[in-house]
Amino acid sequence: MTRIIRAELIRLVRRRTMIVAGAGALLFSVVATLTVFSTARETGVGASRQRGTTIAALADHGGGTEAFAIGSSFVGFLVFVTFIALIANEFSGGTFRALLLRNPHRLRLIVGKLAGALVVTAAIVALAEVLTFGVSLLVAPGQDVGTTNWFSLESVGAGLRDYATVLAGVTGWAIFGTTLAVIFRSAPLALGVGFAWAGPFENIIVDSWQDGYRLFPGQVLGSLIQGGTTELGIGRALATAAVYVGIAAATALLLVTRRDVTA
Amino acid sequence: MNSTAVSVTGLTKRYGGRTAVEDLDIELPTGVVAGFVGPNGAGKTTTMAMLLGLVGRTAGSGTVLGRSIDHPAAYLPKVGALIESPAFYPALSGAENLRMFATVAGHDTGVIPSLLETVGLEDRGDDRYRGYSLGMKQRLGIAAALLGDPDLLILDEPANGLDPQGVREMRSLIGTLAGTGRTVLVSSHDLSELEQVCDWLILIDTGRSLYQGPTQALLDDVSGGLAVVAERPEDHAALHRLLTGGGLDVDTRDGRLVVAVHGADAGRLAASVNRAAFDAGIVLVELHPQRTTLEDRYLTMVQDPGHDRTPALSGTTRGGDR
Repeated sequence: MTRIIRAELIRLVRRRTMIVAGAGALLFSVVATLTVFSTARETGVGASRQRGTTIAALADHGGGTEAFAIGSSFVGFLVFVTFIALIANEFSGGTFRALLLRNPHRLRLIVGKLAGALVVTAAIVALAEVLTFGVSLLVAPGQDVGTTNWFSLESVGAGLRDYATVLAGVTGWAIFGTTLAVIFRSAPLALGVGFAWAGPFENIIVDSWQDGYRLFPGQVLGSLIQGGTTELGIGRALATAAVYVGIAAATALLLVTRRDVTA
Repeated sequence: MNSTAVSVTGLTKRYGGRTAVEDLDIELPTGVVAGFVGPNGAGKTTTMAMLLGLVGRTAGSGTVLGRSIDHPAAYLPKVGALIESPAFYPALSGAENLRMFATVAGHDTGVIPSLLETVGLEDRGDDRYRGYSLGMKQRLGIAAALLGDPDLLILDEPANGLDPQGVREMRSLIGTLAGTGRTVLVSSHDLSELEQVCDWLILIDTGRSLYQGPTQALLDDVSGGLAVVAERPEDHAALHRLLTGGGLDVDTRDGRLVVAVHGADAGRLAASVNRAAFDAGIVLVELHPQRTTLEDRYLTMVQDPGHDRTPALSGTTRGGDR
């Protein structure tokens, strides 16, 4: 397994990839910070971050990573489509077949590839959080947001908690993306289905059916990344996501081990 | 070391109602360079994919490098393969791709420069794979197959799509690999491509075995008869009368007399023809077995499967040793 993870890192950790990832993380941090700070309200928006935040919350312990946590809600979808493309291309391009000839343990191979890509994802998410903290430090004075509380131990804990929930959410999205890629073995097809489901389908239905926020996998993972929402608390989001992710992972592993590799 | 690199019996693969490979037996001696020949759709790739554990079998059993084909993980570390088209990561260089594949398999990455040199890519190893020509991609595929110094190489149509120069280079490369003592199984639908490098042949069609055995056994087949040409064309009629008068079955083809062998010793028959011509004062300028090319033999087998059961063949034919 470690060999496969190392090989995946050889593939992904390259100068060009890192420059693109770094630029993406920087862009995210600037856009997320400016958006969150410019839309922060004077008074309460409730416990949930889904409707934005307040100036008071930004100035509080953990305020330095508030923009990261709020802005990360769309990162899950980005991870979803990235993993679909990464894994589906392995099948359609024949590299999965070629790798199997060197390491015939199919479970290890797919899990190792997923793990390797998740290691890189985790590093990029961490970079995005650090950059967002830095940009927030630059932006805060201009928005009359105090930053004294950001350097407390409590803030470190809040930052780690934000990182953990975002990482848990993107891991779920990564596994969903991998499952779709394994099922369809074609990036265009898997992306089409993924876009249709996580985009219009879920979002249109939840507009008229509130239970969708608690039941649809995309909504559940969205709630998880935001640290819980008014419709779905963090605990239940985590439990529901675990069930969905477990089913998706089992489906993917079953298909990978049972199907002929013909491409 | 095992005397057989591959030994499988009853290998069968069905996709629903379609049979891709049917009851195929393969006995591949260690150290040979074997050509696996059949037309497109004959089942070559499916057979190789089954041996490599990529595709499940409907039936059949056997061993590869002495290990059961039920457990590909036990023998794949000593098998190098290029199956279907070469598959690499376009954004990585040739050397990076090899490094990645070596890492996955746990092979030594230090051999990569020498492998690139073996396949003639030493100057292009740092270029991105997406910029490679088809021939370079195929050669990188062979370099990847050589990672881990395998005992058995399985190459699926390595010259497919190459221009004549590329085909020649690939043939030369396979010849080089053949000299290293490892067993090579190389598939192709083009017999002429394999004729010069393979000392063993496995011929299949529609998933069934037609022949397997030494290449020389097919080349030595004299069922085409003895070709006889007199020095003076005007002597041909007299020679024809002389030979038919001696009880031989003689035909005229392309300006030559062709004496049917009918299972007789071709050498003795040639001697008696030569003696008769000499006694009649006719000088022969040609007297040799009318050899068919491998391609002709293969096409004959495909069109008339019963034809391959000739005593001239020393290899295993369908309905023969099995």
